[in-house]
Amino acid sequence: GNDVTPQVLYQADPAAVQAKASRFFMDEISAGGSASDQTTTTGSFTMPFSRYHSITPFLFFCSLSDVQGKRDAMKELVTEDMLKEVIEVYISETDSISLLDIPSTFVSVDAHDAEAIIERNNQYAEVCRNRMGNDKYVDRSMQTLNGEAKNKQVQSDSIVMVDTAATVTAWDMYDTYISPEQDETVCVPQAERADYPEVAVDTSRGAEKNMSVGSSTSTGSVASSLKEQEALGNGLNAESELQLIMLSEKFQHLLLVTERSILGNVFQPKLAAYRELPILEDSDIPMKPGTVEQREDTESPRPPAVECLWAFSCELSRGRSVSSMAWNKKYPDLLAVGYGELDSSNQKPGLVCCWSHKNPTWPERVIYCDSAVTSLDFSFNNPSQLAVGMQDGSLVIYNVQSRNQLCVVSSSECTNKHLAPVWQIRWTQQDLSLTGEEKLEALYTVAADGKICKWFICNNGLDCIELMKLKKIHNTKKKSVLSALSPGLCFDFHPRDSSIYLVGTWEGLIHKCSSSNSQQFLETYRKHFCPVNCIIWCPLIPDVFLSCSSDWTIQLWKQDHLNPVLGFSSTQKAVCDIKWSPKCATVFGAVNEGQLEIWDLNSSILDPVIVQPAAPGVKMTSLLFATQTDCVLVGDSDGQVTVYQLKNLSVGKNSQVKLRNR
Amino acid sequence: MAEVEETLKRIQSQKGVQGIIIVNSEGIPIKTTLDNSSTVQYAGLIHQLVMKARSTVRDIDPQNDLTFLRVRSKKNEIMIAPDKDYFLIVIQNPSD
Repeated sequence: GNDVTPQVLYQADPAAVQAKASRFFMDEISAGGSASDQTTTTGSFTMPFSRYHSITPFLFFCSLSDVQGKRDAMKELVTEDMLKEVIEVYISETDSISLLDIPSTFVSVDAHDAEAIIERNNQYAEVCRNRMGNDKYVDRSMQTLNGEAKNKQVQSDSIVMVDTAATVTAWDMYDTYISPEQDETVCVPQAERADYPEVAVDTSRGAEKNMSVGSSTSTGSVASSLKEQEALGNGLNAESELQLIMLSEKFQHLLLVTERSILGNVFQPKLAAYRELPILEDSDIPMKPGTVEQREDTESPRPPAVECLWAFSCELSRGRSVSSMAWNKKYPDLLAVGYGELDSSNQKPGLVCCWSHKNPTWPERVIYCDSAVTSLDFSFNNPSQLAVGMQDGSLVIYNVQSRNQLCVVSSSECTNKHLAPVWQIRWTQQDLSLTGEEKLEALYTVAADGKICKWFICNNGLDCIELMKLKKIHNTKKKSVLSALSPGLCFDFHPRDSSIYLVGTWEGLIHKCSSSNSQQFLETYRKHFCPVNCIIWCPLIPDVFLSCSSDWTIQLWKQDHLNPVLGFSSTQKAVCDIKWSPKCATVFGAVNEGQLEIWDLNSSILDPVIVQPAAPGVKMTSLLFATQTDCVLVGDSDGQVTVYQLKNLSVGKNSQVKLRNR
Repeated sequence: MAEVEETLKRIQSQKGVQGIIIVNSEGIPIKTTLDNSSTVQYAGLIHQLVMKARSTVRDIDPQNDLTFLRVRSKKNEIMIAPDKDYFLIVIQNPSD
């Protein structure tokens, strides 16, 4: 009979692909063919018609295919580029293909030929009724032939199923859209890292960089493969990776942020107190029994006191004496501190540190100077410029914004420069400005060589003009032609009229000068008989200023009175520094070597309201009020700048104190 | 480079800091001050957490990215500073 053994449907061999098109021909040929022996299906895929043992059918097939002209296209090797090609697919609607059409046998009553059909139906019913016992109809039997059933089986390859999963996230799509060109650069590092054999690892890296496969599925496998690998990476690769990471700027920034977070945790109650926020207790930290009692007696009035919050100090500054401090004009929490020994026997090089409250253990910027720093001030117009005056008379302006390029300009080439320690330096904004928008500012210094200079930046250097020479005023009886210059120790510009300023000298005299008159002093105030260490105008009350001196006294003056209005003295030590409170006009602070004193003229003019003694063995050298909170900063000879908070200082409602004329 | 080493030393010596781990993008720790087993545990677990956190932030707004992650627990605080190729983990116990 016919050979109906099922043929293999799928040939893996591409050469045998032609057989597909003409498979049904094969069946017909084999039906009349020469296969005499019982054939079994061969399992081999390569030569399905090897049992014929003759090549004629093969050739026949080839010619058949030729005749047919139907050749299955050779499977082209699909290249990567072809996969990436954009192939346009057009989808259009085909005509309706009817697969099955069985017309209904029901006809609606309303159809136009319904009557004929109803008529026919009736006739048929009539016939059926008449069938019984009618001679017209005779029963007769028939026999049908039943054909032989045969089984036909079809064989097909099982379809290989592969499970893939992908998580599509919004950022995944966003990344793919915005970075098509990054794919080429990414492929290169992947080729280099050939020593990671795990496929899971590769896909995870690919996932993170190409963002094409969902990363959630692959990280699970990476974590499990980690435990099989060496825990700390393999040798050289980890080291070089570490080096690369540690040199990157982003890492340094991350370290900075981390350090600040850690310190934020450590100093949190103190910083909250600094900002006058309520201090929250950490419920995880067990409360110490002592602190609970303190909170109970809040009703009884407590005496004014200072509470030490924290101290800016690091190993760089330890051992050096704080000589001056200044707040930044734009960021009132950035503090610049200058360190330098004030006694000239010890000529250590100086140091300037910029501190931020975000990190009280390490300064944000460290600047090493050639000689001891005696004074510093931040600029108004360029808030990142810091002018520093030094003990050898030189004046340098630094830019603190970047970590690398610090020094902007120095006065070392200037011919008129100071030859003696620059005791005070000030940027001042002038009222008159030509453009009308930005206030002009100028830099002034006073030095121990008796000169007050105004500085300009020109030709990448500093140049100055002399504003005033501090001549010694002798008795009018002896008129000597040569008069030596007396060293100037401090000066301050009037807060409202920037052409008037006061200078304190070594001899204890205070001169009022004008920047337009460089020959004569406008006034001279005499009271101190020792060097005047600091002079400061009151920011809130016009025409009132304070001066302090090494003769253990502090004097309060009014501009038009040649004698001081009030004098204060509390201890027998030289008063180093004095500052007005920026908020309350009757409060000022003074620092002498042994203690910090806060005076409130509203409550007492004989004694300071708050006295804070210095730590043993340490001398307090400078003072600064915080502009936004009730805190004072005290620098001492050990290089520490301690932040104290003023507590319970009752601020009077009136911010002015009437001074009685004497 | 020396500055970075110094900063790391400073962080290590701050009050309450228990350990610092630097982990690369595959979750393999490359520098650590803790013992081996804790390091591997932290690295593996935190890697997954950071991926999830970053995915969350970016799902809400793809132009945003995660900059810092702090996990405060009863006994300590874990601070994670992530970057594209690595992340830095610091464990601190502030009440120490």
